[in-house]
Amino acid sequence: MSITLDQITKRYQDAPVVNDVSIDIGDGEFFVLLGPSGSGKSTLLRAIAGLTAVDHGRISLHGRDVTHLSARDRGVGLVFQNYALFRHMTVADNIEFALRVRRMRASQRRERRRELLRLVALEGMDNRLPLQLSGGQQQRVAVARALAHKPEVLLLDEPFGALDAKIREELRRTIREVQRELGITTILVTHDQEEAFALADRIGIMNLGRLLEMGRPEDLYARPATRFVATFLGAANLVLAQHTARGICIGADPVLALGSSTTPAGRDHEVVAVLRPEDLEIAPSPDDLRSSFLGLGTVEQLLFVGANERLRVRLNNAASAGPVVTAADSNAAEALLEVTRTQHDRRTYPVGVGQSVALGVRRLHVLATPLSSFTACATSESQAQAIREEPLLVQLASRMKTRVSTRVEPALQRAAASAAAAPFAGVAVIHTDPDAVHSVQWLLKLGAEAVLLLPHEAPSPTRVLIHWLDEPARRATLAVAASLLRHVSAEAVYVGILADAGEAGRPDGMRSLLDARSEAQAVHGLEIRTELGYGDVATELTRRLTERPDQMLILGVSDISVLTERFTALLGRTANPLLVVWQPGDSPQQP
Amino acid sequence: MAATSSGGKWTFTQASVLPGFGLTFGFTTFFLSAIVLIPLAALISMAASSNWHEFVHTVASDRALASYRLSFGASLLAATINLVFGFILAWTLVRYDFPGRKLIDALIDLPFALPTAVSGIALTTVFAQNGWLGRYLELAGIKVAYTWIGVTIALTLIGMPFMVRTVQPALAEVQRDLEDAAEILGANRFYVFWRIILPIVVPAMLTGFALAFARGVGEYGSVIFIAGNLPFKTEITPLLIVIRLDEFDYHGAAALGCVMLSISFLGLWAINFLQSWGRRRFTATAR
Repeated sequence: MSITLDQITKRYQDAPVVNDVSIDIGDGEFFVLLGPSGSGKSTLLRAIAGLTAVDHGRISLHGRDVTHLSARDRGVGLVFQNYALFRHMTVADNIEFALRVRRMRASQRRERRRELLRLVALEGMDNRLPLQLSGGQQQRVAVARALAHKPEVLLLDEPFGALDAKIREELRRTIREVQRELGITTILVTHDQEEAFALADRIGIMNLGRLLEMGRPEDLYARPATRFVATFLGAANLVLAQHTARGICIGADPVLALGSSTTPAGRDHEVVAVLRPEDLEIAPSPDDLRSSFLGLGTVEQLLFVGANERLRVRLNNAASAGPVVTAADSNAAEALLEVTRTQHDRRTYPVGVGQSVALGVRRLHVLATPLSSFTACATSESQAQAIREEPLLVQLASRMKTRVSTRVEPALQRAAASAAAAPFAGVAVIHTDPDAVHSVQWLLKLGAEAVLLLPHEAPSPTRVLIHWLDEPARRATLAVAASLLRHVSAEAVYVGILADAGEAGRPDGMRSLLDARSEAQAVHGLEIRTELGYGDVATELTRRLTERPDQMLILGVSDISVLTERFTALLGRTANPLLVVWQPGDSPQQP
Repeated sequence: MAATSSGGKWTFTQASVLPGFGLTFGFTTFFLSAIVLIPLAALISMAASSNWHEFVHTVASDRALASYRLSFGASLLAATINLVFGFILAWTLVRYDFPGRKLIDALIDLPFALPTAVSGIALTTVFAQNGWLGRYLELAGIKVAYTWIGVTIALTLIGMPFMVRTVQPALAEVQRDLEDAAEILGANRFYVFWRIILPIVVPAMLTGFALAFARGVGEYGSVIFIAGNLPFKTEITPLLIVIRLDEFDYHGAAALGCVMLSISFLGLWAINFLQSWGRRRFTATAR
């Protein structure tokens, strides 16, 4: 491996900006770190270069641990967004800077400089001053300068950010050629997905300091695992769908029949379906579709963009069918679907604004997220509204690009009475309450994947504690934790708790700790920290939560009756947000 | 509107799209004449109205020569001290954040605002033989008050803000990226400072130096208290001019003034020349 990052964490004032990032990059690989501004990608690059010290984790370059080496001893080349050329030196002096520092002989310097200038196609520019060059030429000089001392690793920090489209493309090609010719391991940081596609052997996508997913561009595009990646890498319509025994249903009928798949725990699940605009088809009537029928819609917007036509189509039956659709680039939950067609399709079936069309789906991808949508639940409409406007919930929903619906359940207070109520889907959200434990049990039994207990005006957590009370709950808890942690900027800590400090229980406790970490890593690509506690579970968790107010707890359980027995006090706490996840044990529970 | 006549001999290049060139140029000429050129011309004509022999006698007397040496020597020394320590001060203020930074930043300007006589009295209090610092320096065998050292200290104090205030913005403009880039390329801190930072701030440092020097040459108030004003030893030229005036020797005063004027002008002109050379060398403006 050329570059190995192991659990890199960097904090600014306690908040992690780079959060447990681990990456292995192979020899000669072109790796692109993609993410929106503020996602921590540049900080990570600076950490690799040695310009920023990390708080945790290790960095190795070609098997050499460089975590504590200074930038000048790491042997890397770095290209800055603003070029960072030395304006008072000529192009030649800029390129020879690293060689001069190393006291290389003048004749050798000249030879190397000539070689580099040829590489970046700037022959004969030796005696110009940087300000006499265009932006694209300046960046070429910067690339040549960064390569002068033959670094083992080339790092590029948004190198095309300040250039116009045409030059950008030209320079992109140059950099790709140079990289191939030298076979140098390269990391490029960008927020431009087109750039990532054009250059990358592999892409790693960062958001909120976390590395969400990495892989080959085509794999990430076809099968994203998270909502963020689905919408950030290309355009996508995210649609809430039902995963039932008959298949994936958007509305009443299955759009995609899943052969023999059975739903977990034998009940229907709400899932998020990713519909790429180019995988949607429009036709005059359902019978004309060559793909699976999705619903009838009305064309609301038409946009001609060169090779393609972009349409926005409103699903007519959205309300009756139940699912709420979120358009690719709006946070508002609207039943607007984005569709792109080729010029050929446009000519064979021209449409106008306001026209009614049938929508079909050629291909859809289902995200296996347990946090599909939120339902704010309370005994009165005003309270439900208040929950819906809680800042933490608003933040989560907008980052997850999902909806928050409200539901009034007078039965919530006297939850013990199992009043016949419509089943829940997704996550139920209630305000914290000393008697919350009964409401939690009731909501879980009604089918909620998880219950989120929100204190009033709770801040966004910077640390999330994870614990499950029994082994069967592990999988679901980790899945929920992984899904949540991709959308909050917080450190994840699995807390393993040993019943007593006796020697006998220790090996088991240690094993569960290690299992937890490796499962999180392997299954969900989520890096978590592990900590060990002793004593009574409820007491220990309460003690840890009391230490800091900006912590959140994710508690997994398979046998709900334990909650009333031992956790009434913990669930009745009103200081921290709590997320209770239920995975029924071996015997399917009765409705 | 610009003073351009196509067939005329005078052509002004107009660099700005804003109108009003004629008005502003006229105002500039008038203002400069009324405030600077006419008084200076009066000084020269006054000096010229005395006869040559008398002029040389006044200007080249031993006492006058000693005063030039002190005035220009001490100013040069003070400006040099400020070049080094003013730079360090500016560096600290720009690069570090520490409690009290704002306060120190404000303190820098005090010598601007203080009546110079007040600084003179304050310095004398501190550095006199029985002053707070002076008594210990005395023990070490260093006499500050009433020697050229005192004069230099007073001029350093007066010139310091000029240096700091010109270097500060230039330092703030040095991008951190440049230093990072140099470090990654293998340069150590000393090298980065010498080859990257210094070349960028040198023009500003020269400006600061020129301002501090000019201010030092013209300084009167703060120096006369601490200098002791012994002829041939600690008498600065501005004081000698005042003495001549007190003796109603207007021609002599004007003659001395002329000498100061020409030396100062030559000095500033030289620094200006250095600056423009530096600008050409270090920051290309061509695009």
